[in-house]
Amino acid sequence: MRASKTVRTKRVKLRKTVEDHIVNFVTYVSVAIVFLVCAYPFYLAFVLSFNQGTDALLGGIYLWPRKPTLQNFEQFFTNPDWMDAFRVTVLRTVIGTVVTVFFTSLVSYGLSTRNLVFRKLYISLIIIALYVSGGVIPYFAVLRSLGLVNHFLVYIIPGAVNLFFVLVSISFFQGIPKELGESARMDGAGELKIFTRIILQVSKPLLATIAIFTAVGQWNSWYDTAFFTQSHSLRTLAYMLISIINQTTNMQNMSAASAAALTASLSVTSLSVQLAAMVVTVTPILVIYPFFQKYFVTGLTLGSVKG
Amino acid sequence: MNRRRLLREFWKQRSLQSFTLIGMAFVFIFAYLPMFGILIAFKDYNISSGIAGIFTSKWAGLKFFLEFINDYRFGNIVYNTLIMSFSKLVFMFPLPILLALILNEVKNRPIKRIVQTASYLPYFISWVIVLGFCQIFFTQTGVVNTVLLKLGFTSKAIPFLTSSKLFLPLVISSASWKETGWWAIVFLAAIAGVDPSLYEAAEIDGAGRLQRIWHITLPGIRTTITIVLILALGNMLGGGLGGSNFEQAYLLGNPANNGASEIIQTYVIRVGLSDGRFSYAAAAGLLQSVISVILVFTSNFVSRRVSGDGLF
Repeated sequence: MRASKTVRTKRVKLRKTVEDHIVNFVTYVSVAIVFLVCAYPFYLAFVLSFNQGTDALLGGIYLWPRKPTLQNFEQFFTNPDWMDAFRVTVLRTVIGTVVTVFFTSLVSYGLSTRNLVFRKLYISLIIIALYVSGGVIPYFAVLRSLGLVNHFLVYIIPGAVNLFFVLVSISFFQGIPKELGESARMDGAGELKIFTRIILQVSKPLLATIAIFTAVGQWNSWYDTAFFTQSHSLRTLAYMLISIINQTTNMQNMSAASAAALTASLSVTSLSVQLAAMVVTVTPILVIYPFFQKYFVTGLTLGSVKG
Repeated sequence: MNRRRLLREFWKQRSLQSFTLIGMAFVFIFAYLPMFGILIAFKDYNISSGIAGIFTSKWAGLKFFLEFINDYRFGNIVYNTLIMSFSKLVFMFPLPILLALILNEVKNRPIKRIVQTASYLPYFISWVIVLGFCQIFFTQTGVVNTVLLKLGFTSKAIPFLTSSKLFLPLVISSASWKETGWWAIVFLAAIAGVDPSLYEAAEIDGAGRLQRIWHITLPGIRTTITIVLILALGNMLGGGLGGSNFEQAYLLGNPANNGASEIIQTYVIRVGLSDGRFSYAAAAGLLQSVISVILVFTSNFVSRRVSGDGLF
């Protein structure tokens, strides 16, 4: 008797109202749509990239390849232009990330010293630089006079000190106990040695955050390639993709009939190579994605802490 | 005396100072030199004269500004810039809040995680890949047109990518796709900070789920909404939260929709870097820089007023 009573009160409390059911229904339908809308383009790109190119152009492929093949990737990986672009992209990502992580944290560490002379001035200058820009034309003029235009280093040097991360890292370095550096200083170690041997060792979460955002930015960048370089040997995956996508889009935007005629004659390979290239470009991001997820919130909330 | 002490202190910190000064050198070269470079908008500048030319070339007064203002495309370009910025802000701003509210109602943890993970994935891919997706979905023979034709919703393929009229919807929807999930993180974090006892109290008082969202969750994240809105307003001309106006206009723009897709930033690139008219392009770009700076400082001022804290 008693037991059934408690069960009943529990049930009363847990009973869902009509509103609950409606809210739940709307919620789950909405998240299902959000999931599909966000994930499906990736999925379809993968499917299409594994489908034969001529066949893909006919449309009607939604869930799995109709004529499965690895040809597209074969064409991609045997094309010297794409391979050059691949190499440049990997190089700029690796070198750019290492350089940016080092210099950004070095500068930020310097600024984290509370009694640093001119500290306020430095920080104000950085903040102004973050919000006021001279625009792309004077910037280009500066790059050109430095000899960076059409040089690989244009991918590395201008971004070597990331001002945003300099500012948001200051409070992180201030949180490191002073004693860590002190003993080494007693032993006569220089500041650079203290920084590389001690400070960097205990700052791995911060370094990882900077590294991930920098690497993703480097990998995805096309702007600098498009406007600050001309040489073919400096082309990146993202940049190569733009031109090939525009090419195939023009083709596909023609009326279906003329497209079909064109399809038969030429350039079907460009779409297949493009899809393979898209998949190759997006895969590294997808692969490291699960690992860097935990740094997102750090990256976002870092901005709200001021030094 | 004071100055000497300062110098002595400075010398004592010379290692740390040199770390910082490396950064200041970068700031000077890549941020302040270009700011001085704005001078070329008022001068007859020749790119081969380098940095020195910024200061030594002949003054041209307001010649290039007048030329830009009198250009037959001036009205169109300024209109495109403003309408694109404004409509992206209006349509895109509520979406992350809405998504955060919906995700917060998902009580099944694994589902919530999976959906959230999928929702901010697009933020990390290049706009170039988004362009590729647009091609797969929105060309005349793309997935969307194929399906619409098959279902009989339209009798003719819709030119999503090549119509001036459809450019704004294209820009708004692609940017929403890319950025909504990312900004929802901010609001989810804010929702997580709302005092749970408020919900319990409301439940006991008989408030339904919608009432709890309306009377507790939304007021609870009001400050966050205000701050993010101010940030977005400050960067309105750049494209709001994600700052993607240029990339979208440049990548999704083409001769067919140029009437809607040419904004100040793309115009500056075209006449400046492609046609080599640096002074003229700098003058056109300066117009945008000035408006942007005004927006940033205004929104910062408002932010200080509203939330007691600004960006700087």
